[in-house]
Amino acid sequence: MLLACLAGALLTCALAPLLTRALGRNAGWLLAIPLLGATALIALGYDDAAHSPAQPTPAVVESVPWIPSLDVGLALRLDGLSLVFALLVLVIGAAVLCYAARYLERTDRTDHGRHAGFYALMTGFAAAMLALVLADDLVVFYVAWEATTLCSFLLIARSGDGAREPAIRTLLVTVAGGLVLLAAVTVMIVVTGTTRISTVLTHDVWGAQPGLTMLVAVLVAVAAFTKSAQFPFQAWLPDSMVAKTPVSAYLHAAAMVKAGIYLLLRFSPVFSGVPAWTVLLVTVGLFTAVFGAVAALRRYDLKELLAYSTMSQLGLLTAMIGVGTAAALSAAVVHTIAHALFKSALFMGVGVVDHSAHTRDLRELARMNPRMPVTATLMVLAAASMAGIPLLLGFVSKESMLAAFLAAPGPSWAPWLLTATAALASVFTVAYSARLVLGALGGRNGTVVREAPATFWAAPAAGALAGLVLGLAPFLLDGLASAGASAAAGSTVEKHLAVWHGPVPELFVSLAVLATGAVLVLTRRRVHAVLAPRALPFSALDGVDRAREGMIQLGGVVGSWTNSPAPARHLAIPAVCLSVVALLAVWSTSELPPVRIAASEPFDWLLALLIACGVVAMMNARSLISAIVVTGVVGFSITVWFFDLGATDVAMTQLLVEILTVCVMVLLLRRLPARFSSPGARRRVVALLVAGAAGLATTAGVWMLTGRREASPASEYYLTHGYDETGGSNLVNTILVDFRALDTLGELTVLGVAGLTIAALLHGRRPAADDPAPIDEQSPVSDPETNTVFVRTAARLLGPVIVAMSVILLLRGHYEPGGGFISALVGGAGFTLTYLAAPSDERARVRLPYLWLIGAGVAVGTVTGLLGYLDGSFLRPLHPSILGFELTTALVFDVGVYLAVIGVILAAFNLLGRPPSDTTKVLPREPEPGAAGPDDPPGSGASPGTSTGAGERRRTARSSTATNPATTRSSHTTHETGEVTPR
Amino acid sequence: MSAAVIAGLLVFGAVYLLMQREMLRVILGFVLLGHAGNVVLMAAGGSARRHEPFGAPEDLSTVADPLPQAFVLTAIVIAFSITIVMLVLAVTGRDEDDDTETNPEEVRS
Repeated sequence: MLLACLAGALLTCALAPLLTRALGRNAGWLLAIPLLGATALIALGYDDAAHSPAQPTPAVVESVPWIPSLDVGLALRLDGLSLVFALLVLVIGAAVLCYAARYLERTDRTDHGRHAGFYALMTGFAAAMLALVLADDLVVFYVAWEATTLCSFLLIARSGDGAREPAIRTLLVTVAGGLVLLAAVTVMIVVTGTTRISTVLTHDVWGAQPGLTMLVAVLVAVAAFTKSAQFPFQAWLPDSMVAKTPVSAYLHAAAMVKAGIYLLLRFSPVFSGVPAWTVLLVTVGLFTAVFGAVAALRRYDLKELLAYSTMSQLGLLTAMIGVGTAAALSAAVVHTIAHALFKSALFMGVGVVDHSAHTRDLRELARMNPRMPVTATLMVLAAASMAGIPLLLGFVSKESMLAAFLAAPGPSWAPWLLTATAALASVFTVAYSARLVLGALGGRNGTVVREAPATFWAAPAAGALAGLVLGLAPFLLDGLASAGASAAAGSTVEKHLAVWHGPVPELFVSLAVLATGAVLVLTRRRVHAVLAPRALPFSALDGVDRAREGMIQLGGVVGSWTNSPAPARHLAIPAVCLSVVALLAVWSTSELPPVRIAASEPFDWLLALLIACGVVAMMNARSLISAIVVTGVVGFSITVWFFDLGATDVAMTQLLVEILTVCVMVLLLRRLPARFSSPGARRRVVALLVAGAAGLATTAGVWMLTGRREASPASEYYLTHGYDETGGSNLVNTILVDFRALDTLGELTVLGVAGLTIAALLHGRRPAADDPAPIDEQSPVSDPETNTVFVRTAARLLGPVIVAMSVILLLRGHYEPGGGFISALVGGAGFTLTYLAAPSDERARVRLPYLWLIGAGVAVGTVTGLLGYLDGSFLRPLHPSILGFELTTALVFDVGVYLAVIGVILAAFNLLGRPPSDTTKVLPREPEPGAAGPDDPPGSGASPGTSTGAGERRRTARSSTATNPATTRSSHTTHETGEVTPR
Repeated sequence: MSAAVIAGLLVFGAVYLLMQREMLRVILGFVLLGHAGNVVLMAAGGSARRHEPFGAPEDLSTVADPLPQAFVLTAIVIAFSITIVMLVLAVTGRDEDDDTETNPEEVRS
């Protein structure tokens, strides 16, 4: 039932935009219906529970698992306290939605969607509040708490241009409170070992550990203060008055700020005896009560006045909860109901006045002549309830409050001080209530303001009327108030409300308050003259703003420590840190297990020497060309080492990648400076020191951490079972496509992303201009047609062979060295050959849709993975037998690998090899039916072209410099020949 | 021991190049770093057993560990694609991006 209510509220939220698009602002009427339905369900559900004798404290409990591994469940619990707040949330929510149906601007059919966001957020707000008050799980509670924060932020932020800053300030304050609550929730979960609120509340730890209890109590109180706008977190509430009036009405009467009160009441059974809790709540609450009431007297904007009044009333509530006796808690429950009714009515009433008079400024309203009998009546009723005038619910609740304060425990002066301060706040309440009514409706001259339609004032009138009915017959609330107070007190509380209790002390206090208030009303001009100039020397809003700016500045300062455009500085940090860690580890290690599976052969040391030469040459290379060439020395040495280690597939891959890397780099020769600058002595020394430390650390780490245990169980498993399970004899390939295919699919995706990145970068940003190479027209090899003749002839012969090899390698990969990666690299090398052989840029292009190939590769891999579900799990290879041939889907998966890799290689060559001006034209085409597949021989580039004109000739000459630098360089650009300058 | 020395040499060169000005040298530094990572992975599989892991071997004590080989194989291809991306970044940035601190015109002249 509770879950159904919550689901219904969420569904309403989901439907709200659709309904609003269809009905415009009138959607509010329909959206109120599910909220009222939920109200009925919840009330009936609680009634059932209350009449079942099984439970000592009636509660409806429902739960569905959410994160079972953490024992977090979507647990809902409806007890008396939840009932009170849930009813307020739903009933006031429904009233506000009905009210919004007239408050919002009328829209025509095409523009109905304008209010969609408003209704979605309002119903979402209601759903979040409902989840908050029903939650019996701390995690759910916290999530709902933050959801209300976000909803209120978004509702305030979408109210217009001026709303942005207030919305952000509101968010900052309430999110800070949310973090405090998170801390409290975390501590509670850790110390009690459960997330159930009902269990946490009855846990023994609170009595046993007073220090911890105090800490959590303070955290909970601070979180509630931010939400309920208690000093010093009060600033956001008046600030957020920029929001639409229905939002304000809901925010103040039943939602947002009431969440804080609910939190305090919910945890009151645990913390009510804790001194820090009592002192904090009572002092902060009463201070805010008086402060807010005085501030309200100084305001001209009706909504702002009401905002300060909310602050003040919430202060009284906080103080009542702080006192913590059964009488005080039941008074808090009753006053919460009373406040919800009169405050929603007042806000909506102010909205009606605002709509009719087009202002809510007291000074302007004084110059008007409102003839609004109904609005006036409802505002008077609601304001009278707020002021605590007899026969209204506000009087009853204020009586209860004063009675609770007069009977407060503690030192003998405490009840008097409490009562006196509360009475003072109440005197000001009377004064600002009168200021509100007289100011809004007291004008008798000037523009006549007419009454709004009944559909508009119906909702506030209902609230005001409810205050009157319940004020005349307060016993109607006995059940609800008792249930709420029982839950908040943790013991059974019987509350009997009555208008007349006889000549009790609180009655005389009430009368004194009303009399003093009346004096203030009568002398209101003089009071205002005294108060108006008494602005506080500081503004809490400025405080929020300063804190915000301070945080941003602090972020800038912290960022500036590491902010540098030089990559070397960033790259050095991990190198240095890791080296220090590794060298410390080496220094502190005394004993090592014996070496078991590591062994060095003389040939290894020869390779190490070659690698050392290559590395030193790379470090000392002064020109682009030489650096690229000596990179190959290292790569090929490592390739040989891989062969020597028995890693044939790996060695083949490394060999091919080495070749292709050099080819790609060659394409960029013209776009990068030909020579490197000579690093200064300081840079060289620092770099050598850091590099030396990193190298030493690596050697020490590898030596100490590898080869000192037997082969892993996984390795043994693959060696002993790999062939039987997959039918593939190339165990490395079976690991790639059978056992760990998910890893490979992830790698394919990374490859695909790399390909897309290359394409996006080269489409979006113009590559650096290329340096035109000087062509010696007299040279016999200056003509691109003639100087590529050998390569072209070779390519024409080798092309088909390479492609055939690539296909064979792909097909046999499961059994012999080969597989998707290697075969694709071989195929890519074939395309590279035709590219190098092409006499012009135009003919070099391989017309294959490389982005489609990449996508197809990832798609084939994924679909093969989905096929695995036929046998139970994603990517499980299937071995269907067709016509006697044993097949495996692992081969299909390898085709996916092939497509993705070849796509990336083609993307790189097609995009990088073209002049900057042409890069925009090489968007991938749609694959045409019968277009060349990836395995077809690329023939277009190899055929000799027709004669070229003079204009094209220069370009082709330049391109041949790029694609085939060795040819042209041999003829003239001798200064660029690779040189390795030994130090 | 040889694997440890090779890895150390590669990291030494890599870190030195990473701390240079030109983007291409930084990229070459990353290429070396990739080699170093692969060597470490292979070292983790041991260098005493060097027979190729094919079929269902009878004697496990001589056959190389296939798992690090599979890791390294894909790592090589990934490193290749990342190298291309870095190369593209080196030429598509603003003009001064190919040299991280000085004006490229000065270097070219």
